[in-house]
Amino acid sequence: MEVDDLTVGYGSTPVLTGVSLRVARGSVVCLTGENGIGKSTLLRCVSGLQRADAGTVRVFGRSPGGTPQFWRAVVSTVEPPSWYPGLTTREHGELVCRAHGLDPDDAGIDEALDRFGLAGHADAIPASLSSGQKQRLVLALALLRPSSLLVLDEPEQRLDPDARAAVAAMLRDYRETGGTVLMAGHDDGFARAAGAEIVTVAALIGTP
Amino acid sequence: MTAAAPTTTVTAATVPVGPVRRWIRRRRFAYMERGEMLGSLYFAVFFVAVAAALLHRQWAAVFWPARPDASMLFDAGLAAALLGALFLAMRRLGPLALSRPAVSWLLTAPVSRRRLLLPSLLVAVVGGMLAGAAAGVALVGRAGPRTAGVVAAAAGAGALSGAAVLLTALAAQARSGAATGDDVAYLILTAGLAALVADAVTDAAPPVLWPAGRAFLVAGGALAVIVVAGFTVAVRRLGTVSDERIVESSRTAGTLADAVFGVEPSFVTEMLAKRYWAGRRLRSRPLRGPGRRGLPVLVVQDVLLAARRPRRLLALAGSSAAPLLLTHAPGWLLGVAVLLGAMAAGGVTTGTVRTDTGNPWMLRLLGLDSRQAVTQRLYVPGALAALWSAAALTLLDLTHVVPGGPWWALGLTLGPVGAVAAVRRARAGFVDSGLLPLDTPMGSVSTGPVLAAVIGVEVLLLGLPTLVHLAGGDPLDWTTVLVQAVAGAGGASAYLSLTTAVDRVELSARR
Repeated sequence: MEVDDLTVGYGSTPVLTGVSLRVARGSVVCLTGENGIGKSTLLRCVSGLQRADAGTVRVFGRSPGGTPQFWRAVVSTVEPPSWYPGLTTREHGELVCRAHGLDPDDAGIDEALDRFGLAGHADAIPASLSSGQKQRLVLALALLRPSSLLVLDEPEQRLDPDARAAVAAMLRDYRETGGTVLMAGHDDGFARAAGAEIVTVAALIGTP
Repeated sequence: MTAAAPTTTVTAATVPVGPVRRWIRRRRFAYMERGEMLGSLYFAVFFVAVAAALLHRQWAAVFWPARPDASMLFDAGLAAALLGALFLAMRRLGPLALSRPAVSWLLTAPVSRRRLLLPSLLVAVVGGMLAGAAAGVALVGRAGPRTAGVVAAAAGAGALSGAAVLLTALAAQARSGAATGDDVAYLILTAGLAALVADAVTDAAPPVLWPAGRAFLVAGGALAVIVVAGFTVAVRRLGTVSDERIVESSRTAGTLADAVFGVEPSFVTEMLAKRYWAGRRLRSRPLRGPGRRGLPVLVVQDVLLAARRPRRLLALAGSSAAPLLLTHAPGWLLGVAVLLGAMAAGGVTTGTVRTDTGNPWMLRLLGLDSRQAVTQRLYVPGALAALWSAAALTLLDLTHVVPGGPWWALGLTLGPVGAVAAVRRARAGFVDSGLLPLDTPMGSVSTGPVLAAVIGVEVLLLGLPTLVHLAGGDPLDWTTVLVQAVAGAGGASAYLSLTTAVDRVELSARR
């Protein structure tokens, strides 16, 4: 993933100016920095969900976003999730598996829900879950389907300490199977546990 | 800023609510822009004037026809349907509700619950009485005699009935297990509609027998006593209605107000869907269709969604008899009703399309392109629209409202038409308020809501062969069926080609 001289602003307010970043295949990078410095904006640009004022972003050698090919390779949790009406937590997982041609049992849907502490909520409507449980469901779905790149915005947010440790271990496993992770967060301990290289956004500004 | 000191004792003393409300009203007026209140009032009056100017002939034709010749069956059916509908409408609205600020600040304050809720009770009673009086006048208007005394008596009896319905709905709001009352109201509404359909297809129904003046007075007096007694009890028990129920009703009223003032009906659709699913206990089912390869996964999801709405499917099946109400109407109107019904039938499962249009997060996670997604989402709406149209046209055929022919087959060919219309409507998203307004002599009219109202409906032009044939009143031949089949399938195919792409995930082309 290559970001070159990226400049993004909201109206007349610049958020990112001249940001450059390289993320090699099979690595985990965690962007840190104070609120409002542009972590999520950078993730949105990498996901193709926000247009840059200047500069280029290449993911797997192509411009990001929009196409089904891109979204079959990339999972992004930058945008708030949406849930289908009348579909349970487990059925959302099964839908994701089947859409990618996976058998839900072979993909380990029940194990995934159990690992994220959602086994007791398999028959619940996602909208009725707490914010922490929704965050776990998002991560469970993201890790359940095949992908090459995870773009995660503060994955440790709203998780209790045990769940943080479990998610960090899963991200490490994901990297070991060849996956790449770009995430933003405020918890350096979580990032280190996930085996991430910590990069401050302030240091990226103006970096060639 | 310093925090108030904590109280050391809990007292049962209440604060008078009147001065608090007056203070709030004064502050609101102080913050309002000059003329804002008058502007809102003008808008309301303008809206009613435009609606009256556009629709007064249609309303007169329905409720005050030139020859009042409705039968006993019609009037009984209309009365039952209106009572059932009034009860259900009141139950959906509460009937006791407060404004959002009042729920946040006054419901939690130590003010008298009875005094807090009394104004909304009075508003609900007046609303119920007005609706009941209008229903009473409509019943007399259809069946006569239209003397001033009879009209006034019918209006009075209607008002008392409306108040009685309101008090019953209020009692249902105050106690648990109120779903039984709703079920009874649904049954009364269904029975009323069934009577209206039966009257429409029956030629010689007996005329209305009006009760003698004395009997009417006795019955009206008894009803008045019951209503006054019920109202007294309701006022006494105002304090016992649980906060949770008032909060829920207030949310409904607030969402309705948002939808009206923001001209955004999707707020209500979303609220109803959320509330329906929040109240259901589901058990996860495998999303696997029959056969070795099975159906596409979004089709299986839509089948599951439809199966989880048995009441909606039942209502849909019952509503296939609704076009019979237009037995004596012009053929083109019958055609429009059938096409609109097909679109409504197709809309049972399109909540999923609305979700994907509003936020394509799940579509991105599924990795499907927009053409795959929309194609798969058309299957179940197509099947429902086809079955509904076939049932509706077959009933019209069996009751000889339309001349003979393979009407069931024509109904099946309307499946794609209803499906495309329903899916297009679900993909419309929010009302675009940024469009240029239309200037009229009475003020400007926003075009966004007008366009939003017809999105999807315009696709029903694909059903033109059916419409033309019903308008002509000729016996149906297979050529018309074939023409309609080609128009429907061709239209659906064109819709997919023009509005979706294999290299785009989002359902909306706007980025």
